[in-house]
Amino acid sequence: MLGKRFCLVWVVLAALGGIFGPVTAQGRSIITIDFQQELDTLNPLYTGMWFMTTAADMYLSPPWYIDDTLTPVPALVTEIPSAANGLISEDNRSITLKLRDDIVWSDGEPITADDFVFTYEMLVSPNNAPDTRYPYDEKIESVVAADERTVVVTYTEPFAPWLTNTFHDFPPIPAHILRPVFEAEGTIDNAAWNRAADVVSGPFKPVEWVAGSHIAFERNENYWGEPAKFDGVFMRFVPEDATVVASLVSGDTDVGTFIAYSDTPALEDAGVNIELVNSGYNEGWFLNFDPETANPAMLDVNVRKAIVLAFDRDKFNQDINLGKTYTPASFWEGTPYKDPDSAPLPYDPDMANQLLDEAGWVDSNGDGVRDKDGVELVLRHITNQRQIRKDLQVIAQQQLAEVGIKLEIENYDSNIFFGGYADDAPMAKGRFDIAELSDVGDFPDPNVSRFLCSQIPSEDNPSGYNDQHYCNEQVDALFTEQAQTVDFDKRVELFHEIDRLMNADIAWAGIWYDPDLWAINSRISNTRVSGADPLWNIAGWEVSG
Amino acid sequence: MTGYVLRRLLQAIPLLIIVSVVIFVLLQSAGDPLAIMGGRVPPRPDDRERLRRQLGLDQPMLTQYLYWLIGNDWTLVDRDGDGTADTPGVRRGVLRGDFGQSIVTNQPAIDIVLSRIPNTLILSVSSQMVIIVAGLGLGLLSALRQYSRLDNALTTLTFIGFSMPIFLIAVGFMYIFAVKFREWGLPYFPTSGMFDPREGPTVAQVAWHLILPMMSIAIISVARYSRYIRSTMLETINSDYIRTARAKGLSERGILYHHAFKNAALPIVTLIGLDLPGLLAGAVVTESIFAWPGMGLLFLEHLSRLDYAVLMAILLMITVAVIVFQLLTDLTYTWLDPRIRYA
Repeated sequence: MLGKRFCLVWVVLAALGGIFGPVTAQGRSIITIDFQQELDTLNPLYTGMWFMTTAADMYLSPPWYIDDTLTPVPALVTEIPSAANGLISEDNRSITLKLRDDIVWSDGEPITADDFVFTYEMLVSPNNAPDTRYPYDEKIESVVAADERTVVVTYTEPFAPWLTNTFHDFPPIPAHILRPVFEAEGTIDNAAWNRAADVVSGPFKPVEWVAGSHIAFERNENYWGEPAKFDGVFMRFVPEDATVVASLVSGDTDVGTFIAYSDTPALEDAGVNIELVNSGYNEGWFLNFDPETANPAMLDVNVRKAIVLAFDRDKFNQDINLGKTYTPASFWEGTPYKDPDSAPLPYDPDMANQLLDEAGWVDSNGDGVRDKDGVELVLRHITNQRQIRKDLQVIAQQQLAEVGIKLEIENYDSNIFFGGYADDAPMAKGRFDIAELSDVGDFPDPNVSRFLCSQIPSEDNPSGYNDQHYCNEQVDALFTEQAQTVDFDKRVELFHEIDRLMNADIAWAGIWYDPDLWAINSRISNTRVSGADPLWNIAGWEVSG
Repeated sequence: MTGYVLRRLLQAIPLLIIVSVVIFVLLQSAGDPLAIMGGRVPPRPDDRERLRRQLGLDQPMLTQYLYWLIGNDWTLVDRDGDGTADTPGVRRGVLRGDFGQSIVTNQPAIDIVLSRIPNTLILSVSSQMVIIVAGLGLGLLSALRQYSRLDNALTTLTFIGFSMPIFLIAVGFMYIFAVKFREWGLPYFPTSGMFDPREGPTVAQVAWHLILPMMSIAIISVARYSRYIRSTMLETINSDYIRTARAKGLSERGILYHHAFKNAALPIVTLIGLDLPGLLAGAVVTESIFAWPGMGLLFLEHLSRLDYAVLMAILLMITVAVIVFQLLTDLTYTWLDPRIRYA
């Protein structure tokens, strides 16, 4: 009886499915993209959120995109500045942006040098509260409109990372829309455009933002470049990874990102293409060098080496990451800045034991943990709540125990883990021996400041970046030099030397090369997802079916 | 009665203040919202310090609470983040209807919260209706057929439903009815969202997308309700006055629906009264799994960003809902049982 009733209910529901199910496309070609986080704004000045900067590729054009080969491709400018074309000054302090003649906002107004100047003014204005003002507040001396089509950016000193930090990070916003707001309200913090960007410069235009649900983009019919090959993008906010995967498998969505390696077989079986995109991130162990807070063993390079030798990173990547990635040898893995001669330390517990013995760390009291001068070799491994990191902690704990190192594992919510010195955060205050996270510089630019001596946090310098207190004056000098070396080849050489020195110090140990995983429905082709500007060529994506 | 209602409402004021203090202190102790503001790359420490001052997060907790409660338009604040308070504040405080601004979206917190209430009500009210109807039906059936095969089967099913975590039910439903049914060529449900973008937000689309999340929520609560109803109905139909009614020759239907059920309903009303504020709070897990843009999902999103203003607005609204619905529940008792009087 119940069975019959259930069948009846199901037939009714199935009929409803036939009526209401997602079958027809009503003649419009729309790509659905699932993002795990909702954008917090459409104005790039007010966020550093990866999802937002990625979405911005669709509706705001930068001076240049960085493509899937990590090569800059001119967008609003006619050519990429270089010394050869004279757009980088001889003293390397000025860069000139020559704007195209045909660039327009979606309302038909021309995009001019004034838009760049206005964007700069908004970034540094004390009346606005942008997420960051870097490098505009400390590295850029001025941004001037030499004429309607020429922008001259002058730096306080030669600034090597200019390519990723000169309006590429903050594409110009429409001055003719936002200047009146600034003049009327004294700030653009609450401008309506920030959530309803109806005047844009990219191939798509946001037309509807339903909070918590989606943003609908439609093709910008006034786009100055090649018009998009499909009608629109429906960007859904789907917080659960499991739902994103189910939606991709069932075909409810076309594009998903931050896919776990463990989900790739199911997606590939369902005919979904997986793209591994180099984003510059590498998962790694940041080892504590601070004599005040670290276990004294951490100050010995041979102990640090033994720690790395005792953990089988290759096996972890084979078993847990399904062999889809590998152990990186460098913080700059996957870029030309990695020292080509560097190689990750192998898994060698015998060598680890030998190094620890030679360093005087032996198990003198028979408790299974090495000790020296009354100090036990007990190390604190801290990270956030990400599941794969928790899995790794347990495996590392077992493997390090085999060489007499006891690993105490701790996990924190991200807002605590990444907290600052003033917040008494565990990493900033040095309450760790090994901190695990994935980090990157100004990708694809290699510049990074977390290894500088001057960035060591303290009461006097609570905003310092260098949580591990790593300080090598030679490395410091090379970092300072590279930041002012505009010549690419010379800079690459400097980084190779930095890499060699840091590897010799065992300042950082890579766990896995951490590309972004994109899952894309096979009905979409010509996707050339870039780690720097993921959706840079979305106008050229082709949709079938 | 009016005096009683007024007294209860007046008692709610200090309660609300105490609750707001507790929630505020707990949230403030949960970590640094600026640490995760930058997404994958935490913001530059200099920017973090500037933003801390601009957003007023550098102020002592008591000052921040006062600004939240009564506003800061009577004092100077550090608008430009240079370390000097030299600009008049603009916040009016909760007591004057200003719940502050979200540090994530820069929008008024109350607008963000209000925008999600309709979506949550669509899901929670429809789920609650299914829960009440199915819970009552199955509970009554079970009670009237005590120890029968049907009762045993329903008891087993309700225990299974009761013991399964909502996450498992929701993901299981999604994989069976959305993914596998599609794979098997059967009509299938959508995995998530409120409508198909190609179809638009029509009533039919929303109804179709509602089914899986609604059923996920309902399964557990139907189990709970039916057990309560079975138990209270059994207690009632075995009581002396029901035996007397039967002895007087009243019809079984009349006894059950006019006498037994009305008396058995009191504990059920309490149960519903406790559940009603939850309708506004949303279903955190279900909304998250099915990407249903309601209050539960909003809470989760802003909790992960430690967006105090929005979190405070949500929690305070739920507190008010609890107080109001408890009052309404108490008043309903007087209708169901005329012996109950409030003075």
